[in-house]
Amino acid sequence: MKKQALARTIKTGIQRTDLAEDEVRQAIERAKQYPFIAYAVDAPYLELAKQLFEGTGVLLTAPVCYPLGGMTLETRLDQIAFAIKVGADEINASLNFNAIKSGDFSTVLDETKRLAEAAGDNLDVIVIPQFFILTNEEKLRLCHVILEAGVNAIKTNGHGSLCRPEDIILIRREFGNEFSIEASGGIRTTAQAVELLELGSNFIHTSTPYSVLEDAE
Amino acid sequence: MESGELNRSTLAALIDHTELHVDATYSDIQRLCLEAVKYGFASVAIHPVNIPLAVKLLKGSTVKVAAAIGFPTGAFTIDGKVFETEDAIKKGAEEIDFVMNVGAFKAKNHSLVADEMQAIRKATGDLITKAILETCLLTDEEKVAACQIAQQSGIDFVKTSTGFGEKGATVEDVRLMRQTVGENVGVKASGGIRTTQDALAMIDAGATRLGVSAGIAIIEGLGE
Repeated sequence: MKKQALARTIKTGIQRTDLAEDEVRQAIERAKQYPFIAYAVDAPYLELAKQLFEGTGVLLTAPVCYPLGGMTLETRLDQIAFAIKVGADEINASLNFNAIKSGDFSTVLDETKRLAEAAGDNLDVIVIPQFFILTNEEKLRLCHVILEAGVNAIKTNGHGSLCRPEDIILIRREFGNEFSIEASGGIRTTAQAVELLELGSNFIHTSTPYSVLEDAE
Repeated sequence: MESGELNRSTLAALIDHTELHVDATYSDIQRLCLEAVKYGFASVAIHPVNIPLAVKLLKGSTVKVAAAIGFPTGAFTIDGKVFETEDAIKKGAEEIDFVMNVGAFKAKNHSLVADEMQAIRKATGDLITKAILETCLLTDEEKVAACQIAQQSGIDFVKTSTGFGEKGATVEDVRLMRQTVGENVGVKASGGIRTTQDALAMIDAGATRLGVSAGIAIIEGLGE
């Protein structure tokens, strides 16, 4: 795969507890050298990132309830309102994993509907089901709930997990092309990215885009 | 406090019984609350999404509900963290453990960190409020400065770690934090404290609260 073509499947960003503003600026200036699709930063840096990406066409991704999924619905809605205010293009919203693992899918359905409503036409909603911690049965049930809530884009995992190729196969088999799939979790090499794209991922989400591009032509 | 004077119940009263796993279930929260009542832990420390369940289960007990705010990165706006804090209190949280804005602090933006701590202090009113420094990311000099900002902002406890960082509490960090804040501010050691011996070492270094998932093993290791 050619570098430019691969870069046009990549969503990336920089999110770390001890991240200072200078490092965000440097990271964004470097990212602007490539035609990446989208870039995520934490809330304190969204306005800065919006300015720095102005006119580039790179989408700005705002995290919501990221990455643990432990925030209340009200807090998530507050984060969505902020994302709209700063002019973000899309959100990466962690779902309520404790509810999912408890089999409480009615709560997950209600909450996901509310997130989608709050985003409205202002933001594209990408939810994070965190496949890494789910059984196959939970993955499928959850994806039906996500569709029922009116959301059709998923980012497979959040921080600190590993994307399994078989998850992409599972979702494509069950749902065809109903979902836009962003493969994420531990994707570090060109080979990993190419495999996940061949299996049906629409996008690759990686915090290490330059190592992912390294072996591309 | 000297660890040699502690018995099971006075040790339990220093423990925040903690469940923050991404894959925790309602049954895990239920178990946590029942154990906290049985052993007399100071609080259950949980994600805000689980506050309503814990409030129901702990009604009429002395165990407090402590909410984890800004977890795990602390990388939120001041308004965002204040909103989350107020929402947690509205839902019944009685203690607040928030992660400070470590990124701003590392960039030496101490005034933003102080503004944030003061805004959260104001939002929590009389409730016990703990500022998490995530000490594994700080130099010793930074640990001292962060403790001073917290103390000047009226924070009740300086706390070492979220438990999601590279490393948790160390005896040296707890000692340094205690030396910095003196006797009037609490020090909470959290992250990686698994045995009775770990717990007692933290207390001897100056910790007045412990955040642990292994609370029962720690209590039972003390002997009757």
